[in-house]
Amino acid sequence: MKYSYIKSRRKSILTPEFTLLLTFFSITIFMLLSTYSFLLYRDYSFIAQRKSMEMQRVVLNDSIDEMQESIRFIEVQSLLGERVYTQNSVLKESITNLFDLIPARITLSEATLLENGLILYGVTPNKDVYNFMLQAPLRSIFHKTYSSFYPTTNGWLKFVSTNYTQNEDMYISQEIEDED
Amino acid sequence: MKINISRQSIYLLVVSIFLLIFVFVFSFLVLIPEGQEYRVQRTKLKTGNSKLREYQNFHDETLEHLKKLQSENRNIITAFDTAFNLQRFEKKYRSYFSSLSISKQGVKSNEGEFKVYEVNTTSQINSPKSFYNFLEAVNKSDWIVGINFPINFIRDGELIKSSFTMKVYTQNQDTNKTKDLDISE
Repeated sequence: MKYSYIKSRRKSILTPEFTLLLTFFSITIFMLLSTYSFLLYRDYSFIAQRKSMEMQRVVLNDSIDEMQESIRFIEVQSLLGERVYTQNSVLKESITNLFDLIPARITLSEATLLENGLILYGVTPNKDVYNFMLQAPLRSIFHKTYSSFYPTTNGWLKFVSTNYTQNEDMYISQEIEDED
Repeated sequence: MKINISRQSIYLLVVSIFLLIFVFVFSFLVLIPEGQEYRVQRTKLKTGNSKLREYQNFHDETLEHLKKLQSENRNIITAFDTAFNLQRFEKKYRSYFSSLSISKQGVKSNEGEFKVYEVNTTSQINSPKSFYNFLEAVNKSDWIVGINFPINFIRDGELIKSSFTMKVYTQNQDTNKTKDLDISE
């Protein structure tokens, strides 16, 4: 370094101490700002992810609702289908039993199956055959049985047998009334 | 006693204090609250994530259940979805009868989400066995068909004339839910 009596030394504001101080604070402020920026970015990212998740949740929820409605509808379809199939099977069994019930000596000319009854038209050699071989089993099945006979020219009897089952609820209420 | 502090030192001290105050103020008023907000957001994200996972699991379980139901009831679903066709029915089941005549009476009623058509049937059969076979076959038909009371059998020479009504169930168009749903996800 040169010293002079006539030329003054140039003084700078950036002394070594000040430079050191500025460097120290610059690094500190840089670190603080970096951390702040990082936190801001992460917050923004979290909020964006949450929005996306919320949308996914709404889509899933709608899909679940639709599927549950479909499940309910399929269960209703299945129940109705099974009910119809069962009714058809029961009907088949009923008709099988009906025709098995008719003895060989009695000839049917007409049979009407009702929801709660059975009407039979036919011919029988005599009342006893009808009473023992047809009416007895019919009585065991139906709650009310009515029979009427008409003589034919060859000595046989035409008959009309009307049989009804009582509704279960009606039957119970009638029994209660009878007990009273 | 005179304290001799250079101007340079005072300047340095002022700047140091100013910067220090800035660092503290920034830290306590901006950085620390933002850090707390970060932790809150992170916790919320974790909670949301676990909820979404629960939804996803439930969605997968429901989808599996739906697919199982659909495969188990495929025939019934298809049958409800098939429009009733008189000619096809007659062609398919004519073999069970000596003669068969059917007529559609139109929509009789609505049972919930289903339309119920009534179909009148008159036929001639050789023996009751043919009718039993028909009842068995009708349960495997392309439609949901229920044989309805009253059923009338009249002896007609060597044949038995039978007349009965059938109920055909189809689903209403506006409740066609099983087909509309896309389960490919």
